[in-house]
Amino acid sequence: MKIVKFLSLSAVILVAVVITSGVIDTKVMGYDVAATIQESGYKVGDVATDFSLKNIDGKMVSLSDYKQAKGFIVIFTCNHCPYSVAYEDRIIAIDKKYKELGYPVIAINPNDTETYPADSYENMIVRAREKGFTFPYLFDEGQKIYPQYGATKTPHVYLLKKEGPRNVVRYIGAIDDNHKDASKVKNHFLEDALQALLNNKKIENTYTRAIGCSIK
Amino acid sequence: MKWTLYLFILLGLLSCKEDKPISTTQVIQREGFINIINEPSEKIQVINFWATWCAPCVEELPYFEKVNTKYDDVDVVLISLDDVEKVTSTVNPFLKEEEIKSAVYLLDDPYAAEWIPTVDDHWDGAIPVTLIKKGKEKYFINKAVTYDQLEEAIAQFR
Repeated sequence: MKIVKFLSLSAVILVAVVITSGVIDTKVMGYDVAATIQESGYKVGDVATDFSLKNIDGKMVSLSDYKQAKGFIVIFTCNHCPYSVAYEDRIIAIDKKYKELGYPVIAINPNDTETYPADSYENMIVRAREKGFTFPYLFDEGQKIYPQYGATKTPHVYLLKKEGPRNVVRYIGAIDDNHKDASKVKNHFLEDALQALLNNKKIENTYTRAIGCSIK
Repeated sequence: MKWTLYLFILLGLLSCKEDKPISTTQVIQREGFINIINEPSEKIQVINFWATWCAPCVEELPYFEKVNTKYDDVDVVLISLDDVEKVTSTVNPFLKEEEIKSAVYLLDDPYAAEWIPTVDDHWDGAIPVTLIKKGKEKYFINKAVTYDQLEEAIAQFR
């Protein structure tokens, strides 16, 4: 038994050494490993569908309504999820900053309201008022839009760029890498992608991961 | 020498899975987490990622509890992704309420983009997910499971 213990201990140490020394850095620490994480729905480069969804003010909103926009920050988010709540202030700040630059936030609640009563249309109105959302907060009634995008969780970001009549997916994933503390963020994934688009540069991390609440 | 007898009885009780006490949360950091994920286990290890705020996770927890008590060759490890500040206020009371006896860890590491791929390349971060492993073999379930699906997945390792 001692030998087995010693062996497994050395295996653990070896793994730890490999990880800390960065030998398998790209696999373990890399954000942009591959599109393996986007199993269904859109991949980067795909053309995203437009939609007509009801906003909290009762009006229908489509991407085609925004004639002047250069693109869109589509964020699947909701009321009940603590990860979504943790990002509300950051989403408001991003919207304020980037809609001036042509990229407004379009938030969509994709959840079934029977599963999550906190995500009902009425509660969306309440939450948007409480927080002073500066962006449309749309209800994916009948849950038809989120599966097309391939969103799995909230929050889940799709950054779209207008190219002629089409909205092309340019980034999929997280807002940044620390849901708990905005001041300790190491990578501002979404803002980095936005800056790259605005400066006609290549987006470095086109897919990123983050913990989120499963869409139901 | 009476106390040694009591000690043996106590140890005997503890070794019986059915009589295990209700778990309390052990907070782990990145290093401890990587060890759990990468260490080859002799038993079939079922590692489930969950949080108290995640409804589909909470729904499937009883299935993991059941396989943990039912099978001697299965060890269930529940890794909570609740915030560390919630351990005493939320997570431990939840374990008591639900009578959770599987080992419970809470990973205190918000930089999820860095550690998610150590579990599986296909995981984008939505929970629940489950990793089953034995020796060097691994099987990743990228969604919530039914009890039958869990049993089937475990049976592949026998």
